[in-house]
Order: sequence, then structure tokens, then C-alpha cells
Amino acid sequence: MGRYVIRRLGQMVVVLFGATVVLFCCLFVLPGDPVGSLGGDKARDPAVVEQLRERYGLNDPLPVQYGNFVKNLAQGDLGEDFTQRRPVTEILQPKLVNTAELAITAIVIDIVIGLLAGLVAALFRYSFWDVLITLLTTMAVGFPSFVIGMVLQKAFVVELPWFPLISDGTVNSLILPAFTLAILDAALVARLMRGTMLEVLRADYVKTAIAKGLPRRTVLFKHVMRNSIIPVVTYLGISFGTLLGGALITEAIFNWDGIGLALVQAVQQQNNPIIIGVVSFGVAVFVLLNLIVDLLYAVLDPRIRLA
Amino acid sequence: MRGATSAKWVVGAVIVAMSATACGGGDNKADGGSAGGTFRFGITEPTAIDPVNAQESEGIVIARALFTGLYDTSTDGKLIPKLAESGTPSDDGKTWTFKIKAGTKFTNGEPVDAESFVRGWTRVSAKASASDVSYHMADIAGYEDLHSGKSDKFAGLTAVDATTLKVELSIPDFEFVKKTAHSVFSPVPKVAGAGDNKAFNDQPIGNGAFKMTSPWQHNTSITLVRNDDYGLQKAHLAKVEAKILNPANGSTLEYQGFQSGQFDYARMPTPQLTAAKAKYDPQGEWISGDFSGINYLNIFNQNAPFNNADARKAISYAIDREAIVKGVFQGLQKPASAFLPPSFADVYQAGVCTSCVKQDVAKAKEYAEKGGLKPGTVVNFGYNTGAGHEEWVQAVAQQLKDVLGLDVKLDGKPFKEALATQQDKATSGLWRQAWTADYPTADNFMTPLLSTTGIGEDPATGKAQGDNRGRYSNPEFDKLLVTAKATKDDAARAALYKQAEKLAVDTDQGVIPLWQRTQYRLVNSKKFKDIKMDFYEDPTLAEISLK
Repeated sequence: MGRYVIRRLGQMVVVLFGATVVLFCCLFVLPGDPVGSLGGDKARDPAVVEQLRERYGLNDPLPVQYGNFVKNLAQGDLGEDFTQRRPVTEILQPKLVNTAELAITAIVIDIVIGLLAGLVAALFRYSFWDVLITLLTTMAVGFPSFVIGMVLQKAFVVELPWFPLISDGTVNSLILPAFTLAILDAALVARLMRGTMLEVLRADYVKTAIAKGLPRRTVLFKHVMRNSIIPVVTYLGISFGTLLGGALITEAIFNWDGIGLALVQAVQQQNNPIIIGVVSFGVAVFVLLNLIVDLLYAVLDPRIRLA
Repeated sequence: MRGATSAKWVVGAVIVAMSATACGGGDNKADGGSAGGTFRFGITEPTAIDPVNAQESEGIVIARALFTGLYDTSTDGKLIPKLAESGTPSDDGKTWTFKIKAGTKFTNGEPVDAESFVRGWTRVSAKASASDVSYHMADIAGYEDLHSGKSDKFAGLTAVDATTLKVELSIPDFEFVKKTAHSVFSPVPKVAGAGDNKAFNDQPIGNGAFKMTSPWQHNTSITLVRNDDYGLQKAHLAKVEAKILNPANGSTLEYQGFQSGQFDYARMPTPQLTAAKAKYDPQGEWISGDFSGINYLNIFNQNAPFNNADARKAISYAIDREAIVKGVFQGLQKPASAFLPPSFADVYQAGVCTSCVKQDVAKAKEYAEKGGLKPGTVVNFGYNTGAGHEEWVQAVAQQLKDVLGLDVKLDGKPFKEALATQQDKATSGLWRQAWTADYPTADNFMTPLLSTTGIGEDPATGKAQGDNRGRYSNPEFDKLLVTAKATKDDAARAALYKQAEKLAVDTDQGVIPLWQRTQYRLVNSKKFKDIKMDFYEDPTLAEISLK
């Protein structure tokens, strides 16, 4: 197990290296000078452009720029952004915290609502609740998240002033964006859970357990839940990774200062240090989460051996 | 079992939280109780709020609240003396002497004297600051040496005594005084240090009507409080809260914030303008104003098919500005028939661009014929995406197709890429562009946008590094600008600028004016009075007061 983890972490370094090299090449071929203009239609003073190109090493050949990047990264330094000229780590740190806060809340809502709904739907198949859940999940999957977000905002911020429009750092400001973000995934989790549970409920070992006269609760939580949850965990792992990569639309609607918006804005402004910072972080998170999911398999299903 | 318990707990927590908000929601409206009130509005994250690099209207609104310079400017371009008691040019227009009001202080107690102006301007132009706005000082003697790092002194600036500032220019400029209304010309205290002093960048110590008692919360908010020791007319508001919104959704958030009572001042998304006006205009919560800017088409003057004035005029005649203003902008923009804005009353000439006044199909065809602009000619028409230009750009393209039979190729590009294309020497066709003034001078439009120096062609790459990317160039026009700048008599100078505009915009049709710059805002006039927009289209924070 220890060796397995180390090997997987080793792979992560390779993936990170690959991702940053590809990223550097992509950024290099983009047309336009990243420090060539100001925010508006106005061109930047050529003397200032030259100073900034020098300051950020943009005149060096690409391999040299990459070498400098790796050298600084090893010291935890992601450089300075091109617009405000502040350290990238300082800019990204609060955004990462915000994104994580939102992602964790959303995933908790996913798990709670999704698992519960899936469980109910499977246990009481074809009942009123099953039909209702199927209907609601279909709708949740069908509506784009920006529609849900804007409707929630219009209803609970503008018409009924229950929630602040702009995040004030309290739990209140977290609720609407987290729900908007969680609804789609919760629906998918519910459907996934229902499907696998129905399959497991028909399995021989469940019949055996019931025949043995085990209490219903034990059968449900020890045998059925544990076996039907593996695909759900896989899905949640991927979904959490995506959430940690930033949720652009939800962040924009609720003015949530996360890394999704930061990335889009950085791409528009060709603010390369921010792009590189966010993407490297995203890759690392994805690889780590996949590792955790794989480790969880072994915990949930002792038949799975990691080597 | 465990799962079920925690699920119950979370649901419980959500309900508690929701009911807590239901009670708390009402507080938002009640917090103006303190003396003077709190004025709340939304901005996007500025590049800087320190005058050393404050540049877009979001940064300038904060910088101008924190700092007071020699002059301010009204929306119609008149100078309002602030710390200047007088500003006098020499007879040759190369030396300006400013008398500064004595006895005012920065909020840390340092005196605001001539030296503090020299310090501020030197700090902006120093090489290490790499300021995006230092070019406003480029005409002051010694700028080059300071900016290139050859010197650390601004040779053209002298603090003659505590209240006298002498500014020597490298060229005659009788309108230099108007430039000093820009926030970049602010004085700074000794603690400001170099331009990259992060502590000062995030919490500047100024001499303005407001001050900051806590640093800039990046991407979250900027809070200003009244400066009770302000040396001029003190502000009424106790506090100003600028919430920082994301640019992707900024105007929508502002509008919703206004509707829900969380903002006292807001912009609106363009498609909502009509609905907002219908609702808020009758309640007196809608304000509008014409500002010193222009929306126009850059037309690439040096490449076919628009390398002759006739072809350019054909385009201008073919555009039905009225129809687009009605159809696309719902009547909320005004067609432009001049390049300079009406707010510059001394130089404004309505209808100076003959081809702009009214769509004229016959004339368009006649000029197209003369200019060799045959039906089917391919015309590239560029614009930057994501800024809401799509609809009107398509309307213009359609008119050019209908009237002249041109094969218009729309070319939307993200911002930086768009700029790179415009700068390229080989680019031809049309490009959408807009300009807003930095200070109220005709020169601020004509020199950067139409003069040969405004092209700023890089000899190595041929790239246009300046703002005149349409590359209009006429030595006669250039000469008129230089003469105008060096003309002492206001009326004579205005006449020269008028003559210059006539030449560039009418005779040569170097650019194609489209519409003027009109702005709309929602203001909470139930609670506050005197909420207006200033020259920079920002709220007049220092004048607003509770009703």
C-alpha cells in the first residue's frame, strides 16, 4: 500500500511536468503580447512594455522561461501577475480557500441529498416517492446551472431579501451558490445510487442475508449500501475534482471569488502566471483525488487489492 | 445509522441558517443610521488605487476620493480649482507656475506643499514604477531621463517655495493645466516611498475628502471613511463601501444589488436599460449624462481598399446611425456627427463629419465608385468579443452589404488578440473602437488617435504601438495640432482644433464616428441627494449627502 501511494505520487510529478510543458507551449503560441496593452482600448507605452517584458523574462527563449518557472515553483513561488503585479500565490490563496469552501459544501449537499434520494427511490421502487425523485432529478439534470442560479438569486436575493447579493463571509452567502452547484450532481448521484442499489438488492448474498434473518437495518447498511456505493464514490471523486477546479458560472452569478473566474479572466487578459498557477493546481488536485478514490475502493471492498 | 444522523444535522443546520437570514435581511436597509450615512456601490477589481498606476474608472474613483490635486474637471470639461490658487503659463507656453493653497495636510499630518507634488509626479515617472499612466507626463522636461532610469530627478519640476510649483515643458502647451485634473498628478506624502511600495499601494495615505482605515480587500471590497481634516470642502458621507464584483457579471450584479436595496448606485446590463428606465425614471432614481468619449470605426487608412478618402466616405455614408440607435440601442445612444464630444463646448462642431449626418445611399454609391470600392470587395470588420458589441457590429455589416454590396467578413476576437491584429501593419478594413477622455482637451482625442506620432510605428516590426491604429496620417493635420497647443489665446486655439478636426474627420475621413458616449445609472435618490456622475463617469462621492 505504501509503495503504491509513492508510485502514484511519482506519477503525479510526471503528469504535472507534462501539463505545464503543454501549457507553456500553448501560451507561447497565443497571438498578442501578454503585457502589450491596458484593460481598455488603449495601447501601453512601448517603454513600459519593454520594462515589463524584461521584468517578467518574456524576452527569454521558452525553455529558459520554463526553467525559471520550475526553479521558482520548487521554492513555492509562482511569480507575479501581469496586471496588478502582485505575487500569484498571494492572489490565488484566498480564491483557493473560497473555491474549496464552496466545493466542500456542495459535495456535502450532493452526498446527503443524492444518497438519501437514491436510497428512498430504490427501497420504495415505483412508489410515489420514487416517481417524484425521478421527475425532480430529470428536471435538475435538464436545467442548466445558470438558469437555476439566476432563478434562485432573483427569488431569494432580489424579491425576498433573505440572502446577501455579495458574499459577506457568513454561511448565508454560501447557501445559494452551494445549492446551485450541488443540484446537478445530487441528481446524478441519486440516479446512480438508485440503479446500483436495485442491482445489489437482487444479488444472491442479499437474499442470503435476509434469509439468515439478519435485521433489515444490518442488511441495508452493511451489505447493500456498502456494495452499491462504489460507483457513487468514483463519481463523487471526479465531481469533487471538477468542483475544486472552480465553478465558473456559479462563481460569476453569485460573485464568488473563486479560481474558476480567475482562470477565465486570466485567459482573456493573457495573464499567464495566473493561468499556470490555476492549471497546475487543478492537475495536482485531480491526481490526488483519483488516488484517494482508489484507496477508498480498498477500504470499501476488501476484495480490491492495491499494488 | 451514522450517515442518517449527520444528514439530519446538516438539514437542521440549513434550516437554522435560512431562518437566521430571514431575520437578518432587513438590517441591510437600516445601517445608514450613523451620521452622514454609508454609500454603497459596486466596482470591478481595479488595477491600482494608488495614483501611481490608477487607470480605469474603477481605480480612478478611489484614487480621486483619497487624493486631491491641483484641479478637478466638471463633466462639461470646465476646470475647477482644488489645491491650485492659480496656474499661469509663460508667454512661450513652456513653463507653468502653480500657486498652491497653503496649510492643507495629508491624513498622516505631512504638509501638502509644492514638494509633495514634485514627489508624486517623480514617483509616477520613475523607471521602477513602470506606470501605465506616466505617459501623461511625457511632455514635462526631463521625463525621458527619469523614465529610462538615467536620472532619479524630474528635471522639469521645481518646488520654488512651499506654495509654488514650477513645471517646465519640453514643448509649448497652453492646455497643460487641464491635464493636472487627472489623478496621476496627485501629490503624495513622504511615506509613499517608491511606486512599488505594496503597503502604500493597498492603503494609500492621501489628502482627499476620504481616507482608508483598512487596506484594500482584494476582490472583496474597498472602504473609505470621511477625512475630517480635509483642507477643502469636507464630504458629507461618513463612509463609502465599494464592493468588488467580477467583471463577467458586474453590471447584472450591480443592477440586482440596486433592486434588492444593497447598492445605492448602479450600472445596468444594456438589454435591461429600457425596463430599468421605465421603472426607475418616474421615481427619480434614473440619471443619464453625455460624456467625453466617442464610439467610432477605425478604418485602416494605409491599406486597400480604404487607402483613399472616397472609399472611406462611402462607408460612412452607407451607415444608417439613426436606425441602429433605434433598433439596437433602443434609443439610448445618440448618433455622432463629430469626433470630439459635445461636452467640449469650445471646440464641438455638430455635423463636422458631413458623411455622418444622415445615411445617403446615392452618395455612398457615388463615392464607392470614385474610390474603387466595387461590390463584392472583401472588407474585414474586426471587433473584440465579450463586450456586447456583436449586435450593432452585425447591423453595420448588414448595411454595408445592402448599400454597397461589400463582402463584409466579421472578425470577432478576444481582447489581446484583437489588439495584436489592429497593430499589425498588414491589417486592412474596419475595426470597432471607443475612446474616453483622460482630461478635457481636444488634444487628448486628436494626438493619440489621429496624429502621426499617435501611430507609434515600431521600426523593427512595423507594429503600431500607439492608439492611432487606423494609421491616419497627414502632415498638415500634425502641424495644426502643434500650432494649436502652442497658441495662447483660447479662441484662436479652439479655431485651430476645429480646423484640424474638419480636415481629419471630414475632408480625409480618417475615422468614422458612430455614436456619442451616453451613460445611465440608477441612484438611490430616496435616501441621498446630489448623486451625480463626474467627468470619469464615477459617482461624485465628495458631494453626496443624506436627505
